[in-house]
Amino acid sequence: MQFKDYYQTLGVARDAGADAIKHAYRKLARKYHPDLNKEAEAEAKFKELGEAYEVLKDPEKRAAYDDVGKRWQGGADQPPPPDWNAGYEFQGGAPGMGDFGTGHSDFFEALFGQRAGGARARTQGMARGQDHHAKVLIDLLDAYRGAQRSIRLHAPALDAQGRLAMAERTLDVAIPVGVREGQHLRLAGQGTPGFDGGPAGDLYLEIGFHPHPLFRVDGRDVYLDLQVAPWEAALGASVDVPMPDGSVTLSIPAGSADGRKLRLKGKGIPGKTPGDLYVVLRIAMPCEAGAAQQQAWRDLAKAYGSGFDPRAAGEGK
Amino acid sequence: MMRTTVSVLQCQVVEEDIEMSLGQLCQACGTDHRLVQQLVAHGVLQPRGEVPQAWIFVGDSLQRTRTALRLMHDLELNLPGAALAVDLLEQIERLQRELRTLTAAQSGG
Repeated sequence: MQFKDYYQTLGVARDAGADAIKHAYRKLARKYHPDLNKEAEAEAKFKELGEAYEVLKDPEKRAAYDDVGKRWQGGADQPPPPDWNAGYEFQGGAPGMGDFGTGHSDFFEALFGQRAGGARARTQGMARGQDHHAKVLIDLLDAYRGAQRSIRLHAPALDAQGRLAMAERTLDVAIPVGVREGQHLRLAGQGTPGFDGGPAGDLYLEIGFHPHPLFRVDGRDVYLDLQVAPWEAALGASVDVPMPDGSVTLSIPAGSADGRKLRLKGKGIPGKTPGDLYVVLRIAMPCEAGAAQQQAWRDLAKAYGSGFDPRAAGEGK
Repeated sequence: MMRTTVSVLQCQVVEEDIEMSLGQLCQACGTDHRLVQQLVAHGVLQPRGEVPQAWIFVGDSLQRTRTALRLMHDLELNLPGAALAVDLLEQIERLQRELRTLTAAQSGG
């Protein structure tokens, strides 16, 4: 168990007032919020900020945390003192830290306990269970062909003795053909169970794509950079091009410039309105040139003479 | 830990196949009618139908509502601020897409 320095996370002094803590959090939260910052590490950083703020903004939690900090001698990596987390009791609802804030550190949970995500107020009589959200990453090919994916979800649930414990559910989900990044799948009845015979809530899965080494996706359109030789671009060629679900033979028109986009209509992500696949030509230069190749380039230069100046306006584009 | 397995589940794509009433959208986002009505008033959501009881939400309504709620909660924004942020985020995304297209078009034919 590692001691978490929440003051350091927010960059505030240990005696910082409530306003300074709020100010520091808001500034950093704007910087790292995953809706605003698409960098890979932003989400983890934002979770840390959220956890630190959740503790330091609450006088009761902050006092308990400070007390633990004083007893936790010998550095962050040392084992905690015995009973370091005993005797603190917390009132109030679930932490409710938005979508990105769920999943506290072990340190937090050891100190403040696990809360039922969205522990709801006890209702009298029949009530529908809550809807849940989770994110799932699929491959681009899954969107082309559909797929069956096992998704493992962890959520607190009441066990047979009525105690709150973590439960793991594995859902085998049929990913429909044509689903796109950012869309949501609804799984009816897979949310929280209802109370007193009420219906269960639904589960929503937000779709993300694993990055693909060849293709990049923009909505329903898919892009592929295709390396071609200078003479293929100049003279035209017929080349095999990989597709997310196979390959096609593509005619490269003669006289193609670097960056030319060739559209394969309807070869993007399938659907009622299928997307397009764009092949973007990238002219690759041969790395090594022997005497014969050097001569060929010289002949080429001679053949063009002063007819081609790549630095003149309008040329070389 | 308790473990359960639920086998093959069919699902629907919210943005394509699902129309939601005000109540269903609130349930899906874990929020109340008042907040969604304010999001409509600020133009973040544009349901079909004249009165709240008849509203039908389609397309990216779920996504927009959840983004607005996240921003309000996580950044302690008020509703007009979150509404503005949702619009600006979409604008940025659209401009980035255009920029990618233009850059590709400019570097090639």
